[in-house]
Amino acid sequence: MTLFETVFSGNDAVYGLTESAINAAIEQHGADKAISFPNTAYSLPCYYAVTGVKVGTLGELKEALGVVKTLMTREMRTHDVFMSGVATALCAEFIEVLKYIDGAVPYEEPCYGHLADAVIRELGVPLVTGDIPGVAVILGKAPTTEDAVALVKSYQAQGILVTLVGDVIDQLAEAGMKTGANVRVIPLGKDVTAVIHVVSVALRAALIFGNITPGDAGSLMKYTMERVPAFVNAFAPLNDVIVACGAGAIALGFPVITNQEGVSEVPKSLIVQTDVSKFNATSLEARDIKIKITNIDIPVAFASAFEGEIIRRGDMQVEFDGSRVDCAELVQTVDASEIEDHKITVVGPEVDGMELGSKNSIAYVVKVAGKNMQPDFEPVIERKFHNYINCIEGVYHTGQRDMQRIRISKDAFNAGFRIKHIGEVLYASVKNEFDAVVDKCEVVIYTDPAECTRIRHEVAIPTFDKRDDRLKSLTDESVDVYYSCILCQAFSPSHVCVVTPERLGLCGAVSWLDAKATNELDPNGPCQVITKERPIDERIGEYEDVNEAVQKFSQGALQDVSLYSIMEKPMTSCGCFECICGIEPFSNGVVITNREYAGMTPLGMTFPELASMTGGGVQTPGFMGHGKHFIGSKKFMKAEGGIERIVWMPKELKDTVAERVNATAKELYGIDNFTDMIGDETIATDPETLVAFLTEKNHPALSMEPMM
Amino acid sequence: MSEFRLTTVEEFEAATARLLETGAKVGADSWQARVKNQTPHCKFGEEGICCRICTMGPCRITKKAPRGVCGCDVHGIVGRNYLKFTAGGSATHSDHGREICHTLYESSADGCYKVKDPEKLVRIAKEWDIETEGKDIYDLAHEVALEGLMEYGKPFGTQRFLKRAPESQQKLWEENELAPHAIDREVSRSLHMAHMGCSSKPEALVKQSIRAGLSDGWGGSMMGTEFSDILFGTPKPIETEANLGVMVEENVNIVVHGHDPSLSEMICEVADSPEMVAYAKEMGAKGITISGVCCTSNEVAMRRGIPMAGNFLQQENVVLTGACEAIVVDVQCIFPALGPLSKCFHTKFITTSPIAQMPDSDFIRFDAHTALEKATQIVKLAIENFKNRKPELVYIPQMKQKATVGYSTEAIVKVLDGVTNSQVDELGTTKPLLQCITSGVLRGAVAMVGCNNPRVRPDLAHIELMKKMLANDIIVIASGCSAQAAAKAGLMDKAAKDICGDGLKRVCELADIPPVLHMGSCVDISRMLVLAATLAKDAGLRISQLPVVGCAPEWMSEKAVSIGNYVIGSGLDTFLGVDPYASGSSEMVEILTNGTRQWCEAAFTVEKDIEKLGDAMMARIEEKRAALGI
Repeated sequence: MTLFETVFSGNDAVYGLTESAINAAIEQHGADKAISFPNTAYSLPCYYAVTGVKVGTLGELKEALGVVKTLMTREMRTHDVFMSGVATALCAEFIEVLKYIDGAVPYEEPCYGHLADAVIRELGVPLVTGDIPGVAVILGKAPTTEDAVALVKSYQAQGILVTLVGDVIDQLAEAGMKTGANVRVIPLGKDVTAVIHVVSVALRAALIFGNITPGDAGSLMKYTMERVPAFVNAFAPLNDVIVACGAGAIALGFPVITNQEGVSEVPKSLIVQTDVSKFNATSLEARDIKIKITNIDIPVAFASAFEGEIIRRGDMQVEFDGSRVDCAELVQTVDASEIEDHKITVVGPEVDGMELGSKNSIAYVVKVAGKNMQPDFEPVIERKFHNYINCIEGVYHTGQRDMQRIRISKDAFNAGFRIKHIGEVLYASVKNEFDAVVDKCEVVIYTDPAECTRIRHEVAIPTFDKRDDRLKSLTDESVDVYYSCILCQAFSPSHVCVVTPERLGLCGAVSWLDAKATNELDPNGPCQVITKERPIDERIGEYEDVNEAVQKFSQGALQDVSLYSIMEKPMTSCGCFECICGIEPFSNGVVITNREYAGMTPLGMTFPELASMTGGGVQTPGFMGHGKHFIGSKKFMKAEGGIERIVWMPKELKDTVAERVNATAKELYGIDNFTDMIGDETIATDPETLVAFLTEKNHPALSMEPMM
Repeated sequence: MSEFRLTTVEEFEAATARLLETGAKVGADSWQARVKNQTPHCKFGEEGICCRICTMGPCRITKKAPRGVCGCDVHGIVGRNYLKFTAGGSATHSDHGREICHTLYESSADGCYKVKDPEKLVRIAKEWDIETEGKDIYDLAHEVALEGLMEYGKPFGTQRFLKRAPESQQKLWEENELAPHAIDREVSRSLHMAHMGCSSKPEALVKQSIRAGLSDGWGGSMMGTEFSDILFGTPKPIETEANLGVMVEENVNIVVHGHDPSLSEMICEVADSPEMVAYAKEMGAKGITISGVCCTSNEVAMRRGIPMAGNFLQQENVVLTGACEAIVVDVQCIFPALGPLSKCFHTKFITTSPIAQMPDSDFIRFDAHTALEKATQIVKLAIENFKNRKPELVYIPQMKQKATVGYSTEAIVKVLDGVTNSQVDELGTTKPLLQCITSGVLRGAVAMVGCNNPRVRPDLAHIELMKKMLANDIIVIASGCSAQAAAKAGLMDKAAKDICGDGLKRVCELADIPPVLHMGSCVDISRMLVLAATLAKDAGLRISQLPVVGCAPEWMSEKAVSIGNYVIGSGLDTFLGVDPYASGSSEMVEILTNGTRQWCEAAFTVEKDIEKLGDAMMARIEEKRAALGI
């Protein structure tokens, strides 16, 4: 059989199975039975992306299968093979959705099955920054368990997100390997149809970030090919169905690497690599994925895949806890003559001298010198410490400034990891990432409790205070320039963020100082200076210069934006936003919800549903994506009256931002404890109850001008 | 981004019509008018059944007079005419190659012509068993050139480059006495065989046609290509533009036309110099624009990115723009009409070769020793002519397309290296292309070549056939005026991937190539032979087994018939849109469209309906796939 005939045969087989499964389901549940995947605004995501039609019932699913059949043409042309591959994928989605009927939970630990929209939105930033350089889809059974573990670990060490389908999941379990989204190894399911759950991620990414119109299959496939760095590793033996799925993957631009001999190869698309130990290198080359190598001389792995790793108390050798003892992390600008490059000093005991499971002090001061270094960059560098230290395998870091917490696992300790290695990591990472401003770097790590106390109170806290004063003085009015940020354009080609001191990037990851530093580090990079010399309308924050910049950086897709309004020319979003706010018509206010909150809002929509209203660089008046930190800003929808308009937030978010929101409300409106007037899910998730609550609290929004 | 759009033949024709209005104003003649005057064409001539090789005739074969005075029947007459036609083409191509051999022989470190690709020189020297160690590169160049020249007249043996073919092909040539001896000998032998009272057996005449063709393809043309590469550089992908819109109104426009890069390269070199640009400014122009017509244009486009003003039937159009200061020509395919036409405008018509001397031209004899001096003289003449323009006659149709050209066989292999995977593949082979074909992602390849011909609506057949191939995942390689038709239409813009089938589109995206690959001038069809040979060797197949065919839908010259002969002689089925004056003999038709298969496993298909011609090519490609089980 030729390759094309194999694909057609596999497609026919899956189609047959799907047809029987749908018929059986209709017989059992009736054609009106509702079907959907959980936590997505795009159900069924793949079918919706390809055809633009949403499917909600079994009857509609059967109709959809008829549409799928029309894709299954049988000319001996690549088009027919690609479409048969897509048809196979859609059939898989149909089979999978049947598993979720009646709110069933078809997948259990360690398998994930369907992945929520929120997962995709979280992946946006790391994918564009190259933090996650690629997505591997591993399918089938590796020749040996050791092969399976070695392959997955090799990807993990490179930060590549790994998804697993089939027997390889059992192989990893057998080897006792930790899996899960936090370590970037996601077992999807054991049936081959479970592969659709990662395809679904790729296609939703196109809808969310790429602003691809559902049903525009051509643009969809162009987007996935050009912007989603995924690839497939399919273990022998391959059957017709897997080959048909592979055709779907290749149609989307994802190369398939297999150890099945005798397959008809296609350059950069279908590659036979009989040596499984070379799957990694072969795959990366096939998908043109370049791994940024950070070679750091430490006895454990260092990779972004370990960023989400959690060390439980029982697995912990020692910890350092700024909330209990004196700790600090600090970047200090010094004169070049004062330091010696790559000198790492530990003042106080090493881990060997600490009791197993004990809580200790730690303070590290990273001294940097450079001709282009500015004190404003200190916090920018410092904020990266969390990320750097977390990338160490077996080390965990949370918090910042003098409130950080670090745990070192027993495994890492036994592998030889010591305090001095934290110094190595900080040194190498700072030099690597900030080479444009840091010429020399020296690290001093204090573990001696008395020294830690001194550093914290006499050095760190005064510095932090000084910085806070500087930050307070940084307002949109006090600076001469803003910055553009197009970091996300790899994913969302027409989106541009305008970053101001009082409005950080909507992903929450780029403040004005970050943008400034980014610009300084790479003058032709993603952050460019935007002047603000020609205001058009101060009320909504519109400037001619800003509009020109936005037009230029969006390649004309976007004509004008305001900085302070969500109704008039609101700023666009890429899709990676932390929060979304939308107007709540009954109260004249706005509701804000965040990515982590999975529940319902009084707007009758969940975060994924609200989020699907905007993104992809499109202006949607009445909806705006933004960073959490922006909520406390005096510029938050200033044109519509500011934060007074906020009527509802998830409780956890409200608690997080309360301090700043209350301070702003006090300053702007003289309201005390404003957050007490704001509803949350414990108070109301429907507009009626919410308005009753707001009325009782005499929320100011109720008496404000209607927004529409 | 989605601004890409093909230019249609209707648009070409509208632009031409507008230019002909200018022509009418100044009383210019045009090929369009001359075609009308010549229609209907002589039917005896069309069928190839008129014999005038001795003065007993001329004899014309009719039902009533089935034999000539000497007794030769229609098959012998058509066969002899066919062979003479081939010999004319073979001689022409090969003599072009010989001229390049001479230029290589004249090259020197401080002369007008230098060796730009010494690597290729060494490679060929080794291929020919010439000692390279410790030799000065110019000594080696002279030695190789001399060896090359010997290929034209050596008393014994067959052409050296035949060894580049797969052994299976060489065996066929040996067994069927098709392996060409010295190039000149094959031409002589052809003329000898076609002399009064020699061969009248169609099989023998066609066999000799193939042999004479092969002496061109694997001999003269191949040396022309290879030695041009040594002298001027082996082409690699480069951006350029095509169609009359490349001429710049404010600049001095010099158009090079003909075939031999020795002239055009030198003109480009001189026109690029700061002194000449300054001189042009002094004379009131903003600068100098060199553009090309016909195959010399292909040569300089492939190596320098010099824009292509047009192909064969556009040669009069460049003068009709009223903005052409000089049209500088060397050899082949130059309308004598350019002389009188140039007199209607300020244009200088400059002939340079003793081979192509024409009335109403300024003859500035060009040779390797005085190349720089003569080129300077020509460029200056053009610059000084700028002031003589008649502004009221100036109209340049603002029509052009972007093109990426320069796909020599070496460049194609390099492109293919780019899609290999270093973990599994070896470099420097055509295997990635074979994988695409074997898997079915590409169905096959078509080599589109040849001229324009008023018998066919010019450019339409080239463009429509290419579009059809592309839509069906068949990759197109092109040369000569066919390549220029593609470039003018936009088919050599990488954006043209969007009109391809999904398979070819993906290949274009991954390899970053346009779907129609420009392989050069008509002499460079020898590159296609090398590519086909390499594909066959890499695949372990005979050339005739490859799902690859040749096509010349608008051909007109004797050279084209020679090419056709060597392409089928090399195992590739060839599809023609114009009959080679052979339809008058049923036996000749049978041999040319079928009989040749017994000797070289390929034959011609002649089909004037372009749609049917395309279908026939696709059907042949699928037949070959089926035979291979792919």
